[in-house]
Amino acid sequence: MSHHLLDIVIFTPLLFAAVVALLPAGERNQLRAATLAGSLVSFATTIALYLAFDPSAGAPEFQLELNRPWIASLGIGYHVGVDGLAASLILLTGLLGPVAVLSTWSAVQTRVKELCLALLVLQTAMYGTFAALDLALFYVFWELMLVPMYLLIGVWGGENRVYAAVKFFLYTFAGSVLMLVAILFLYVKSGAGDARTFDYVSLLRALNDPDSGMALAWSARKWLFAAFALAFAVKVPMFPLHTWLPDAHVQAPAAGSIILAGVLLKMGAFGFLRYAMPLFPDAAAWARPTLVALAVVGIVYGSLMALAQKDLKKLIAYSSVAHLGFVMLGILAMTVASSTGAMYQMLNHGISTGALFLLVGILYERTHTRSISDYGGIAKVVPMFAFAFMVVLLSSIGLPGTNGFVGELLILAGAFAAPFTIGAAAPGVELGALNMPLWTAVATSGVVLGAVYMLRMYQRVMFGPLRHQENRALADLKLREWLAVGPLLALVVVMGVMPQPFLDRLDPSAKRFVERVGGEPAQGAAAFRLVGVPPAELLSPAAAPQVVRVAQEPEPAVQPANLATEKLPMLPARLRDPKLLEAVKQRARDIGTTP
Amino acid sequence: MPSAADLLILLPTVALAFGACVLLLSEAFLECRNRGYQAAVAAGAAGLALSLALLQIAEPVTLSNDSLFRTVVQPDLFQSFIVATVSGGLLLSVLLSKGFLRARDAERGEYYALLLFAASGMTLLAMAADLVLVFIALEIMSLATYALSAWLRRDKRATEAALKYFLLGAFSSALYLYGVALAYGATGSTQLAELPKATLNPWIGGPAIALISVGFAFKVAAVPFHMWAPDVYEGAPTPVTAFMAVGVKAAAFAAFFRTIAVAFGGAPQHWGPVVEALAILSMIVGNLLALPQQNVKRMLAYSSIAHAGYALVGLSSASVYAGRVAGAEGLLFYLAAYTVAAVGAFGIAAVIERNELDAEKAWDLERFAGLAQRRPVLALFMAVFLLSLAGIPATAGFMGKLLVFRAGLDAGQLALVIVGVVTSAIAAYYYLRVIVSMYFHAPPGETEDLDRSAATSWGLGLACAAVVVLGIGPGTVMEIARRGAELLF
Repeated sequence: MSHHLLDIVIFTPLLFAAVVALLPAGERNQLRAATLAGSLVSFATTIALYLAFDPSAGAPEFQLELNRPWIASLGIGYHVGVDGLAASLILLTGLLGPVAVLSTWSAVQTRVKELCLALLVLQTAMYGTFAALDLALFYVFWELMLVPMYLLIGVWGGENRVYAAVKFFLYTFAGSVLMLVAILFLYVKSGAGDARTFDYVSLLRALNDPDSGMALAWSARKWLFAAFALAFAVKVPMFPLHTWLPDAHVQAPAAGSIILAGVLLKMGAFGFLRYAMPLFPDAAAWARPTLVALAVVGIVYGSLMALAQKDLKKLIAYSSVAHLGFVMLGILAMTVASSTGAMYQMLNHGISTGALFLLVGILYERTHTRSISDYGGIAKVVPMFAFAFMVVLLSSIGLPGTNGFVGELLILAGAFAAPFTIGAAAPGVELGALNMPLWTAVATSGVVLGAVYMLRMYQRVMFGPLRHQENRALADLKLREWLAVGPLLALVVVMGVMPQPFLDRLDPSAKRFVERVGGEPAQGAAAFRLVGVPPAELLSPAAAPQVVRVAQEPEPAVQPANLATEKLPMLPARLRDPKLLEAVKQRARDIGTTP
Repeated sequence: MPSAADLLILLPTVALAFGACVLLLSEAFLECRNRGYQAAVAAGAAGLALSLALLQIAEPVTLSNDSLFRTVVQPDLFQSFIVATVSGGLLLSVLLSKGFLRARDAERGEYYALLLFAASGMTLLAMAADLVLVFIALEIMSLATYALSAWLRRDKRATEAALKYFLLGAFSSALYLYGVALAYGATGSTQLAELPKATLNPWIGGPAIALISVGFAFKVAAVPFHMWAPDVYEGAPTPVTAFMAVGVKAAAFAAFFRTIAVAFGGAPQHWGPVVEALAILSMIVGNLLALPQQNVKRMLAYSSIAHAGYALVGLSSASVYAGRVAGAEGLLFYLAAYTVAAVGAFGIAAVIERNELDAEKAWDLERFAGLAQRRPVLALFMAVFLLSLAGIPATAGFMGKLLVFRAGLDAGQLALVIVGVVTSAIAAYYYLRVIVSMYFHAPPGETEDLDRSAATSWGLGLACAAVVVLGIGPGTVMEIARRGAELLF
């Protein structure tokens, strides 16, 4: 049983899809009930998976593995397995499944059967994407997600749905095809004849083992990283590739938005954590300054755009751009604390933004408007709704006591103490350096802005005089709606005050990730085991950036050949230039981080 | 002594030609007005040829040393694969033709006979091991398809298409023949097996290879020799277009590969760069010209040019030693994958077109509007075919693209592969447009009853099943393609 658990998780929704396909199209409630049952059973299997995962330090990285040949002549295997991150994200996917089904219960009345099929097939594709350990299998599931999501937006979406659906599809597809070339390139280079493989675990080992004979040129590693990163950056989405997101979110039905924001965006961050960065750690280090800059720009830009929105869904969509910017910052800082935070924030964002879209969907179903100015003062009419909205909103802002706080704190504290440069300088390898405290400080403005746009929106929607008479008759949350919202609210609080059980499962993944990308474990990361107490040493000047200290105590010149084998992060050869050193020191002094 | 066993290799061809003769005779001798059995006879012959080809795959035939055919045909797995592909495409096209012709009152035995004759030419083309037999097979195939494109002779477009096809086809045949003459001059033989042994005089051998390549490039509709394709594909009766797009392409590619990559495999400098250029041009031009088409049939015609480009990636990889087996494997699988998806897509265009007299509007994108509500199964099939043509995973088209791009990387032709994936992303747009129309737009007010004949449903159902099977469990077919490719060299 347990060794087939992943099979059961992945294919349960497909099984229910087959059942739904056999039901008559006219029996809407039967269809919905079958789909809800399917998503609940599927959720139960994901809980079983999550509990079956052993987070202890000595446990193997990928658990519940299944590995059987699929297309033997091409070396493609049906290889699946989960690490802590994948298990957590699968649990999130399982949780949002029934929520999405419930959100369509009365909101969608047309072509219910197709909707149910699309939701169930999408569920299988998402599980598969997280569980795949074979690059070809991963790509198959990754692209397979596109089709049902495209139909969700295009068939049941708003007035401008076709444009949004096509844009969503083309952005993601165009981003992914270059990843396909990169995957094929890795496959072709992975050996000779039948020894070639798409298997992630073998490729990861071979790529990072200088004796494996799979040594790729530096330029090849750069381009391969770029191809993977592009595919994932579109999905995250990172600035400036985010433009499909507001369109897709605004036009998608509530179920589509919940899945899109809750799970699909995580795929991009997951791709960076699982594939792009561990496979090509030095290329990731090389691209890190650019990517950090884009992540921070995304945070600030997304927040400012959210501030300007008049449409509820668009506001949440832009807030997603900002939140995913935090996640990317946490990943790119490459410390254990920040990447644990990023993983945690991925779960949080799935819950809080999923809940926000669900609530806005509930409101839209009653009023058929998403415009903020069409509301005002409705807290008096729908107090329960206002309460639920507030809890979710506070989680999104990151108020202490909610899950959002834990993630954001870990990310920001980790990023603040992150090393300036990552990786070892080797001949021909260019490294970039950047001032992490400065960038983190800029990113922190996103937290403030987040509170501003969210609370302002809440105030304009919920408080003040009841300006629109038609809102006087708004119905409060019904039982069915509570069933969808309630678990999410509970999780917001539980994950806020008791994050440890969840963090325990992410911890091994984060440690392995940081080890693979050559990032340095941030000092005092252990202090984060008690979340809520910011480790004093992190915020003290003693933890000041690596580069300054190294600059003060220049190491004896090391031959480049030794540098390559050195495990510790090194100052790039370029930075050894005295003029540059002086400039770096000057910059550090300017921003006041010199001890 | 030649033995009867030597005839085994020809059995699929014989089955097709025999079926064609029966159908011709049925028109001459049978007074019966009811022609319902003709499609059954044609489908039977196609099915028989398909089974024989599959038998040949399971139990490879060999020729005895003194066989008459020894120097002219090559009884290998490569040809069996192509024969199976062509026969499969023929079977589907026959099933799709029945309802189409009946609705136009154009069902005659000669139609099926011509289809079968064309297919018999294709099977010969796949196995031909002599440049002269290649020419004869090319002509058997082409003459039948010229006539078929004009089948609806009252339709002005069909006549125009046939005339264009005939003139340009004859022209390309002449170029090919000239190339053969030069090749004979350069090497002293027309047998493919003898060509590699000769030392090639670059001043004669180069032009010989170039002219032969141009001849084939015309037949597979590769840019810049594609000009005829959109008009001919649009003007010809849709089931014929389906068969032309897949059958002619598969057979011509087989002979193209055998001639260029195997026989002239020792001189890749004469054709490698040219084929690479043809591939890049076909992928870019085919996809870009398909983008603005409002006419779905014409869009599919341009997409067929683009698909010739993807198949050419396989051929181009064979110009490098490291990529030649992978190239042949990719080409074979790609042709099979394209066959099932393209026959299906053209087949649905044929269903949509039914009872439509206004030729301008016959295949307009708007006619697909709301198909998902009118005929959900039909729309689902079309979506599967289009997604396969676009190369979305879990369909045959994705696996085909995976194989040809793998071959390209094996051969170190990274630029070709990048052009390939970027153009597939562009292609996704115009395939999606049809899906948008079917699924996202409301059906027009009046809805006519589309063809529901059993043969059409079977044909489309089989094609769709094949697309999904080749997409999810392609192991066996890939294995056969690979063995066929390995034995080729």
